[in-house]
Amino acid sequence: MAQVTVYSTPTCGYCKMEKEFLSENNIDFIEIDVAADEQAAQKMVEKTGQIGVPQTIITMDDGTEETLIGFDEERLRGLLKIA
Amino acid sequence: MNDVIIIGGGPAGVAAGVYAARKQMKTVFIADQIGGQSVVSDGIANWIGDQLLSGVELAKKLEEHLKSYADDLEIVVPGHCEAVTQNADGSFHIITNKGAFDAKTVIATTGGRHRTLNVPGEEQLNGKGVAYCATCDAPFFKGKDVAVVGGGNSGLESVEDLLPYANKIYLLARRDELRGDPITQKKVLDSDQVEVLYKTNTLEIAGEAMVTGLRYEDLASGEHKNLSVQGVFVEIGSVPNSEFLSDLVVLNDRREVVVDHRTFATSVPGVFAAGDVTDELYKQNNIAVGDAIKATLSAYEYVKKMV
Repeated sequence: MAQVTVYSTPTCGYCKMEKEFLSENNIDFIEIDVAADEQAAQKMVEKTGQIGVPQTIITMDDGTEETLIGFDEERLRGLLKIA
Repeated sequence: MNDVIIIGGGPAGVAAGVYAARKQMKTVFIADQIGGQSVVSDGIANWIGDQLLSGVELAKKLEEHLKSYADDLEIVVPGHCEAVTQNADGSFHIITNKGAFDAKTVIATTGGRHRTLNVPGEEQLNGKGVAYCATCDAPFFKGKDVAVVGGGNSGLESVEDLLPYANKIYLLARRDELRGDPITQKKVLDSDQVEVLYKTNTLEIAGEAMVTGLRYEDLASGEHKNLSVQGVFVEIGSVPNSEFLSDLVVLNDRREVVVDHRTFATSVPGVFAAGDVTDELYKQNNIAVGDAIKATLSAYEYVKKMV
């Protein structure tokens, strides 16, 4: 199973939409609130070079990592094989 | 042959979808997503029938209402329209990333998107300090100095969103006054964290890996000045998503689709448009809904007359 981590802030609309989309499609994910966790926010920016939410990191079964900037429904469907 | 293809998933598009379904028109509904520009809004207080709801809640309601007609509509979401051309028989050919469709009429409800400054550094530093959603991204600027460009409501609201996080906030206005609601103006002007710079024109956003500054022209003196900031929030209004129609219908100098405000017909018979993509004066969710309903009823009459 691919491991999904969603970086978000509580007031971000697209974050809510993405999390609801994942829940509706029964995808488990780890949620990191970067507004509450400053260190996590810094680590995320260092890793992806991008400030802003939502950002999603998916660790695929073969260990490769995919980074999604913004709520990208098309790519989420493709990577997580959602019909 | 479809009766109508509705392009765009904001309040206007959904209103058109519901009305088209109830008129039993053979309908294709295509949109990148359902919800519209208000999705990023934390609180909408003027959606009639709801005292307060978030943009996501509004999107959810719109989606549920549209999908209650799923048996009567072909819903293609996410899907993106690339071009519309007219066939020899007067019908329309719509090219999308999910295939091509033909329809007797088109209703364009593609809304608008953030206007960009179009200055050096903006594109390269997008997501690297340049941001377009303070509600979303303000927490990243804790203790930092930031600039907000735009003296209208959205600029003022961005300053409000940044107040709990940022250290110093420069608000750059083009005029010698702020626009926007007096109640928000007062809150912004009363804060020690905020410095309003009037009569300014942003020239450049500086930075290599991340934003380090902003250069602007002081329009009163003509002087070029620099601000040391780590974030730039751009809030200078919106531009209509009308590109896919630009070879077909008449646009005005703001690139808005010109419509007849009784029927919401465009310059090409059979093509209708509603909401923020048009030259509608007031860019409002409730108004977009009403406009789209007029457009749909007009499209219905148009199809009826064809047979």
